[in-house]
Amino acid sequence: MIRTDLLVLHTLRCGGHSGLARVSAATGLDEAAVESELIDLAVAGLVTHSMGAWGLTEAGRATDAEWITDELESGGARPAIAAAFERFLVLNPELLDLCTAWQMRPVDGVLAVNDHRDQSYDARVLDRFSDLDQRAAAVCAELTAALPRFGRYRVRLRETLGRARAGELEYLADHTTSYHTVWAELHEDLLATLGITRW
Amino acid sequence: MVRWVRPLSARSEESARDVGAKARGLVVLHRLGLPVPPGFVVTTDACRAHLREGRLPDGLAGELAHAMTGLEAATGRRFGGARAPLAVSVRSGASVSMPGMMTTILNLGLTTEAAAGLAAETGDARFAEDSRQRFLSGFAAARAVPDDAALQLELAVETVFSSWETPRARTYRELHDIPHDLGTAVIVQAMVYGNRDDHSGTGVAFSRDPNTGENVPFGDVLFGHQGEDVVSGRSPTRPLRELAEREPAVWAALTEALRRVEGHYRDACYVEFTFQAGELWLLQVRPGRFVGGAAVRVATELADTRLITRGEALLRVSPQHLQHVRTPRIAAPAQADILARGVGACPGVAVGKVATTTDAAVRMAADGPVILVRPETSPNDMRGLAAAAGIVTARGGPASHAAVVARAMGKPAVVGIADLVVDGSSLSAGGRTVGEGALVTIDGTGGEVALGSPRIATDTADAHLRRLLAWADDASGERSERDEARRLIAAHAALRDP
Repeated sequence: MIRTDLLVLHTLRCGGHSGLARVSAATGLDEAAVESELIDLAVAGLVTHSMGAWGLTEAGRATDAEWITDELESGGARPAIAAAFERFLVLNPELLDLCTAWQMRPVDGVLAVNDHRDQSYDARVLDRFSDLDQRAAAVCAELTAALPRFGRYRVRLRETLGRARAGELEYLADHTTSYHTVWAELHEDLLATLGITRW
Repeated sequence: MVRWVRPLSARSEESARDVGAKARGLVVLHRLGLPVPPGFVVTTDACRAHLREGRLPDGLAGELAHAMTGLEAATGRRFGGARAPLAVSVRSGASVSMPGMMTTILNLGLTTEAAAGLAAETGDARFAEDSRQRFLSGFAAARAVPDDAALQLELAVETVFSSWETPRARTYRELHDIPHDLGTAVIVQAMVYGNRDDHSGTGVAFSRDPNTGENVPFGDVLFGHQGEDVVSGRSPTRPLRELAEREPAVWAALTEALRRVEGHYRDACYVEFTFQAGELWLLQVRPGRFVGGAAVRVATELADTRLITRGEALLRVSPQHLQHVRTPRIAAPAQADILARGVGACPGVAVGKVATTTDAAVRMAADGPVILVRPETSPNDMRGLAAAAGIVTARGGPASHAAVVARAMGKPAVVGIADLVVDGSSLSAGGRTVGEGALVTIDGTGGEVALGSPRIATDTADAHLRRLLAWADDASGERSERDEARRLIAAHAALRDP
């Protein structure tokens, strides 16, 4: 059983300020359920609403850290998550290489914006994306076995890649819910869950 | 018969296909009489055998041992020895460039005993221990490293060969049309220590400024460190010109070396170097591969000095370069008040007030353009990235989260400013501190962050470009009104098929 208050609060922690639709897409909860949860969290002083988006308060950030640590330690999930994070870190530079290759490509030795007119080049990048996605799926499966809430990332990554393959090219790296965005949220989630601060 | 190992010297004749491009560069340096640490190269053929068989090919271990005996004789030191220990660097070197994709292991051979020997020899236990720790961290963490120098070398060669096959390297080759069966060579050289003492260090240098093409050496230097620290961005580097003040002899040797390699390649060049106790060593050389206005300027000026012909100058500039000549740039970086330099990650110039948090960026953007300055970015910064006119980060390279997002949003970005510290609502770099709200200008091509609003130009290479295009018309014989790319393309056609 996944706690919805934790899920909604932690989605804001990892995804930054977000509207209802975004939280709904990230959590898999419907918008009404998300809104109800957010209002409860706001009453508790953990989130605020400003300029059309929900975000954490300082207290919300602290509470999220408590809840997440508690969830991690009480289930004994730390070793499995830490091991999966190591494998994630091997994939991370390759994912960023692929995003860069999708956006830019060398033409006569000059890095130029990829105008997506060369279909064979795009197909190659997409193939490598799919290959990486298979390896990422294995990491996601390990994470989900240890903490079920990580299962959403697999669903979301698969969705964005599917859209990109179906011709919505911006869903790889150039959209607010692109593969790269979901990946970056997963990265942030792993850091937050393991209590690792970026320096 | 020696099958897998080749010497590195002025007389080496092997092709880049056999020994890799980096080794070919080292041979060029030898031929120019420039200082290169003695060493040898394990061929790409050995790598291909390793790929086929999953283990080092028969006979290689014996050849490595024999080559190390030669290196001991050349240096007067003992590999893994307790007295005057010889340590080596072990680097990948394929026939095509695959930057950052493969393994490098430095300080190899510093066994427990050899490290103690190095400490005793230099009287500097901290230096010896630092070098040994760098060696151990060069191997993947999971691996048990044998405390025997010869076994370390075999393991290191195997590690470099295996790094050819990592999924990331495979992806890189797929994207850049590089065949998977080329394999990499392995270069083994006597170690020179950039972390040896106060007169040691390491750096990278271009013979000309890669941002503008101006004929002045340009690069980064890191005093008291080894080369990996420059490439990884772990430590803050200093502008190359500081070498002239702190180590004038090294500077003189370096500028002379740059002059000679330019003469050989007949192009702007890039070198990697280390200096140990005031003595310069070159570790790599290649042509500079300049782009945009810098490519135009270098080609024109090299033709002016007759190092290349006007025809060659024209052929070195592609129509792609012309598009980049028009990207806005800070007009005269030398006159601007440069706060910091990083890596340009998305071309263009942005002027705005500094915001150090996403919240501040969103708030301040209502009153005018904002430059978001962060240690690095995470999804929590997406709103700030969206609100900002330009992005600056301390960490990360051209493929970092910030760079990917900046390009997705088409915003000028500078990343990887190693000495940038963001502290609360202020930032400091190069010994200066700037508060939130200060006006800065960033150049996402050259990687400059300047205080205030220096002049911006979209035509920094104009004078050179006009002359080059006049030569283009001479070559093609066409004088009609056409755009720049067409004038260049016509010249290329005439030069290639006269």
